[in-house]
Amino acid sequence: MRAALRTFDPADSDISALEARAQLIPAVFETLVRFDEHGDPQPCLATSWTHDAARKRWVFTARANVLLHNGVAWSPKGGAVEMPDDRPLAAILRELAQPASAIVVRADDGSLLGTGPFRIAHWEAEKSARLVAHDGYWAGRPFLDAIEIRMGRPLRDQEMDLESGKTDVAEILVTDGRRLRQKGFAISSTPFTETLALVFENPRVPDATREALALSIDRATINNVLLQKQGEPSAALLPRWLSGYSFLFPAARNVARAKQLAASAAPLTFAYDKQDAILRAVGERIAVNAREAGIVLKNSTGPSDVRLVSLPITSRDSLTSLEGLATILKVGLPRASGPFETESALLNGYRIIPLVHLPRMWATSGAVTNWPRLADVWLDVLDSKVKP
Amino acid sequence: MTFRTKLLLLTSLTVAGAVALVTGAVAVSTRRAFERIDVTRREALLDQFRRELDARGEELSRRVEQIASSAAIEQITSGAAEYDRAQAEAQEQSLDFLDVLQPDLTIISSAHWPARFGYKNDWNIAPEDWQATKSFLARIPLPEGNAVALVSVRISSGGKALVAGGRRLNAELLKSLGIAPGMRALLWRAPDDLIDAQGGVQHAEKLESLIAQVKASGHESTATVQWTGQRSSSEAFLGLPLFERGQLMGVLLAGTSLRKEMDLENEILWIGIVVGGSGIVIGILLGWWTTQRVTHPVEQLAAGARSVAAGDWSARVEVVSHDEIGELAQAFNQMTQHLVEQRDRAIQAERVAAWRELARRLAHELKNPLFPLQITIENLQRARERSAAEFDEVFREGTTTLLAELSNLKTIVGRFSDFAKMPAPQFERVDVNELVRGAMKLYNARLDATISLRLELADGELPIAADGDQLRRALSNLVLNAMDAMPDGGTLHVATAGIEDGVRISVADTGQGLTPEECERLFTPYYTTKHHGTGLGLAIVQSVVSDHHGKITVTSEPGHGSTFMIELPLRQGEQI
Repeated sequence: MRAALRTFDPADSDISALEARAQLIPAVFETLVRFDEHGDPQPCLATSWTHDAARKRWVFTARANVLLHNGVAWSPKGGAVEMPDDRPLAAILRELAQPASAIVVRADDGSLLGTGPFRIAHWEAEKSARLVAHDGYWAGRPFLDAIEIRMGRPLRDQEMDLESGKTDVAEILVTDGRRLRQKGFAISSTPFTETLALVFENPRVPDATREALALSIDRATINNVLLQKQGEPSAALLPRWLSGYSFLFPAARNVARAKQLAASAAPLTFAYDKQDAILRAVGERIAVNAREAGIVLKNSTGPSDVRLVSLPITSRDSLTSLEGLATILKVGLPRASGPFETESALLNGYRIIPLVHLPRMWATSGAVTNWPRLADVWLDVLDSKVKP
Repeated sequence: MTFRTKLLLLTSLTVAGAVALVTGAVAVSTRRAFERIDVTRREALLDQFRRELDARGEELSRRVEQIASSAAIEQITSGAAEYDRAQAEAQEQSLDFLDVLQPDLTIISSAHWPARFGYKNDWNIAPEDWQATKSFLARIPLPEGNAVALVSVRISSGGKALVAGGRRLNAELLKSLGIAPGMRALLWRAPDDLIDAQGGVQHAEKLESLIAQVKASGHESTATVQWTGQRSSSEAFLGLPLFERGQLMGVLLAGTSLRKEMDLENEILWIGIVVGGSGIVIGILLGWWTTQRVTHPVEQLAAGARSVAAGDWSARVEVVSHDEIGELAQAFNQMTQHLVEQRDRAIQAERVAAWRELARRLAHELKNPLFPLQITIENLQRARERSAAEFDEVFREGTTTLLAELSNLKTIVGRFSDFAKMPAPQFERVDVNELVRGAMKLYNARLDATISLRLELADGELPIAADGDQLRRALSNLVLNAMDAMPDGGTLHVATAGIEDGVRISVADTGQGLTPEECERLFTPYYTTKHHGTGLGLAIVQSVVSDHHGKITVTSEPGHGSTFMIELPLRQGEQI
């Protein structure tokens, strides 16, 4: 995997690996509730929940026959988890579905015990991990005996590992799906769980220049040619499958207007991760589009005026995802009535310019015969489906 | 400045000047020779660059042709290949730039700028470019700026696309030129990039003016650049503009190091300095020897001339050569010999003249008393013959006359005797003021109402070493002369004054004065302007003054009187 976790502790607040934590932690630590593929809350370690008459105290009934990784039964006092909370139920469930709210028991030796389908057999921070099947998993022992995870691996290296037989599952570039499929690998992809966006790091860049840059970008060509139509051009932060309103943010290009706005605009320093092939290709194209509108983007490796980033969608819940994005972007989440208003407020002023939503894509070798089940095990948060 | 110094200086300057001229001529000649060689080498370099460009153009066209006929182009045009497929093709053919274009020059795939697909190619490609085989220079837009490249364009096999490939004009191209030692080629690439065979050029700003000149004129230009404070770091450049379709793509700069030329010039300069210095030293020695040879006889001549001027007419110079200086010495010796002979003859003549004058004077002086004597004696003889009584009377008168005339003769003879027997002065301390005062007392009685005396004596005493009697006699002669010069009256002005190392006595009258000719002959013995007198008075004065080592001068103008001034030294040896 690309990310490099420094800890498996769900309570850790490492935002740099938010996405990876959202993928891996549920395989080891479970929460009381979880979201399904439609973003609806579903029971997990809690089978049901109810409240008192004043709706200020909630009781979550614990699932029976749940064993911790050391074989000890997880049995909360009274068979239920009680918590005082006067917030709306949706907000409570959204919080409880977060990895940070997972049920974790600290053993006598200090190790962390969970109830998930896999337990941690080996852990080397930011390098590798070995997860082995939890025989006493309440939903049944997972099909796989063990999962070897190598962290901090670029996608290109993962693809090479896959092609050389060193791994059975590798995350791949969305642009490599067709090539790898031609080579006989099975390709699967998630819904759009990543958003490419331009983020202005320099608050002194004039509004007109920011808007000009937003209007100069040809999102359709970026998606059709560079991303081989694997993405969804959009001017919204959240993909349509998650929010349902992304089309309300206009993504059309208007070079003439951009030229007007960018008249006498100063050159901007522009940064992106040049090791990332997708970011590099999109970044170069954005520079070409901007140049056409009269905006010069100068590549920079340090602090810059504007940066091209890949933002992960970490939840099936819109507001939770927006919170995650706000955390990653280190901006305050505006207080608004709903996701659309919140996102509109985030995007107001063109300080963040969403470009395209991308899925995550995996290639599996012929040894993997039941990828959807595997995905269900350790990609619990995100749905997965195999493409023929 | 002496003649010897002048001669030495002239010799040294001549030698130094000659060496400087020779050194300068050699240096200029050397520089011109180097410049001719440099021009030839630079032109050869430019020819080599053009040939290399042509050869690379042919090779480039061949490679672009291979791409145009490859299956990859079909895949790119059909959309089956990825958008950056041109990169692989460019890499395979080692091209720096490659665009696969639609016929309308829209970029389908770009190797050097993959993100630029969909935009128009702006390499200034003309339709004839893909028909011809010749390559051309083009300015290639890049994300970081423009690059200048050699470009070739071909039509794909299917005719659906154009393939435009290029190679950068870079340091490798310059390195491949096979440049002669001491030379180098630099390439300025529009808009602002200068490289040499090693890459970037330090202090490129020093070539900005030459490049600007080439850009402005559009023609070849030359300039010399001194890279550091050392002259030997200078480099001569010839700038050649590289035009393509009216656009300046670059400037090729052929540079030649002037280090060897400068070193040789320095060497020549040092040789010149050493030779010049040696020449100056040798010149000084030779000059000294020559001047010795030349000036020694001249100095001898000068010494001889000074001796002659001092009165030593027997002075001779040694004749040591037979050149012009020897002839001059001989002539000098002949001259002095002639002078001596002439002087002897003049003295002889003067003696004769003096004796004649003396005889004339004696005859004149003696003839006057003799005639009365003769008359008186004849009267006595006639009276003796006539009567005794008359004889007594005549005898008495005659003897009286005879005695008077004889006395007169005695006086005349005494004067001559005195002049002839002028004794040597007996020096003693004499106060000139007192002497003048005493002398003038003798004449108070003789001064009448018509002649007034004005006596102006210096304050205090004016002691000198002198013979008081002789000096008094000389002063008396001057006073008597002055009084004689004023028969109608006037003012006698007698004054004394102290002067440097001596005293001055002046006697002036307000008489009729003297003419310049009279002034010249005034001190000649027996010369007089008076009807009576022997002409010995002023001669005696001059004799006295001369014996006192002084001098006497006279200033006079006709009608304004005369002034005689005697200047006497304070001491006569140690006597005072």
